[in-house]
Amino acid sequence: MIDIEPLRFAWTRGGPDTLLLGRLLVDRGQTVFLHGPSGCGKSTLLGLLAGVLSPRQGRVSLLGQDWAALKAGQRDAFRADHVGVMFQQFNLLPYLSVLDNVTLPCRFSKLRRERCQAAGGPETAAQSWLQRMGLPEALWRRRADTLSVGQQQRVAAARALMGQPELILADEPTSALDAALRQGFMDLLLQAARDAGSALVCVSHDEQQAARFDVQWSLPALQQAGVKA
Amino acid sequence: MNKLLTIARQSAWNRRSTLVWVVVSLSLATALLWTLERLRHDIRHSFSQSVSGVDLIVGARSSPLQLMLFSVFHIGSVPQSMRMESVLKLAQHRSVSWVVPLSLGDSHRGFPVLGTTPAYFQHFAYGDKQPLVLQQGAAFADTLDGLYEAVIGAEVARKMGYGLGQSITLGHGMHDHDHDHKGEPADGNTDEHADKPFKVVGILAPTGTPVDRSVQVSLKALEAIHLDWVAGTPMPGGQIPADQARKFNLEPEEVTAALVGLKSRAAVFNVQRFVNFYEEEALIGVMPGVALGELWSVLGLGENALLAVSALVALVSVVSLVAVVLAGLNERRRELAVLRAVGAAPRHVLGLLTLEGLWVTCAGVALGVLLAHSGMALATPWLQQSLGIRLQMEAPLPSQLALAGAVLLAGLLASLGPAWRAYRLSLADGLSPRV
Repeated sequence: MIDIEPLRFAWTRGGPDTLLLGRLLVDRGQTVFLHGPSGCGKSTLLGLLAGVLSPRQGRVSLLGQDWAALKAGQRDAFRADHVGVMFQQFNLLPYLSVLDNVTLPCRFSKLRRERCQAAGGPETAAQSWLQRMGLPEALWRRRADTLSVGQQQRVAAARALMGQPELILADEPTSALDAALRQGFMDLLLQAARDAGSALVCVSHDEQQAARFDVQWSLPALQQAGVKA
Repeated sequence: MNKLLTIARQSAWNRRSTLVWVVVSLSLATALLWTLERLRHDIRHSFSQSVSGVDLIVGARSSPLQLMLFSVFHIGSVPQSMRMESVLKLAQHRSVSWVVPLSLGDSHRGFPVLGTTPAYFQHFAYGDKQPLVLQQGAAFADTLDGLYEAVIGAEVARKMGYGLGQSITLGHGMHDHDHDHKGEPADGNTDEHADKPFKVVGILAPTGTPVDRSVQVSLKALEAIHLDWVAGTPMPGGQIPADQARKFNLEPEEVTAALVGLKSRAAVFNVQRFVNFYEEEALIGVMPGVALGELWSVLGLGENALLAVSALVALVSVVSLVAVVLAGLNERRRELAVLRAVGAAPRHVLGLLTLEGLWVTCAGVALGVLLAHSGMALATPWLQQSLGIRLQMEAPLPSQLALAGAVLLAGLLASLGPAWRAYRLSLADGLSPRV
């Protein structure tokens, strides 16, 4: 489903390569644990997967669609349809309610809205994902910024899952959480991604979690492979 | 766009504490410009409406503007009087239809007193040749019996609560009687001419001109009350009682100015030349329209200065708008990144920012207009009373709309600048906000 053909990426034109990767594939529904030291280019790789960044050489395609073949506007629409994202923190619009935050992707993607229709509409789908992420119902109508960081991450996960996008990108989703909460959160996220049939690429420092993913990518190792290729 | 509206609304509501100040500062700038423009227009209108049907104003030689301001608007003073003899000569000129002498200098409770003849009520006109109308009573008689009779303007009657038959006394000079005179007599009557009280015999209908604030009496009456005065002070050696005064010669020797009406307007330059080259006395004949033109050019300087200051105020408020928006940009940046991450396209982001700039400036301008109107509604009685200027609370002037439009445009541009920057940043940020 994700197909990375050997690629080079540099932040500046003519600058040194930040990423140098060999061929990489991710299947539908597969979960990928992406790790490596800080600054090795993990977020850059996520940017490439999301079609926000373009490689200098090589190709990144999602669902058989080469990102580079799309115009900027088409990339935005394609991403809105097929990719759910969540970050370390500041995922939510503070002034919207939890439910409104979760239904946001349906406002911008017709495809995901239609998929939610099968579950009874965006609102119902949102409630069901929030339930699956273990967020107490009492919080659903509260303003997003009244929630704890841990609760906010669950909301962000529920939002990424809305309309079951084929790919979910999570950039250190647990690093703002207490160690005690990480395990539980990751359990819920992995299970929910499987339920949704979405592939999950998760950047994390927490190597204890690695074994629970289908695939582990160590970026430094991938880089070396890229150099050899 | 619809999906953006609610987000835009909620986002703005979330930042209402800063946005309110942007709206307030814009509204103050708008209110200032709006009021100033109205004031400017209405002052001009008010002045130009104050005299009509008068072809020439004649007086002792001074500046045309000075003569007109004093004789029509009772503002300032003129250095000299003109001889009554000259007035009578002028009346005999073959092109002259009527002459109305005016004598100024006394006042009643701060309202100027105008000494004239009954012909004044017949010939003086305002606005578009509208004659003076007596709402109650009649003009003073100009006979010895009716010597101490007065006709008051509408504002005098309203403000002082006077009706027909009211007895009033006159004071010397134009000073305000509320604040003057220490050592005043026990009965509280501070008027120098209290020994010769006048009876109100007529009340004029409102005109919206200085006439509303005047007390009209006959020239003879002014002579009578000044019989026992010499050079502005009471004559030593006794007063002349009111009844005794009738026995004296009360024909005035001097007046302040004369209003002249011509049989044909075509003769105006002819008569003006006659006046300006009058041999027995240095006189000047002023066409009201020309003097008004001179007034505009004087007023114009002050007006432009005021306008420049208000434009600066508007500029300051627009700059403060930019500052506020830029200060909130980091918060915004995070918000825009979140929106981008959930699928909002750059055009959505730009739309969101534009929408906010649009309604913030619109709200500011609308509030400013509202503010200006309530301010003017409050100030109208004071303006009318102290300056005789009537503000027109009617449809906005094209120039007012243009100024409001300019503020709107400036506000919009000012909010679009930062919006564009936020938009560029959100593109550069991609999906993860680097804040």
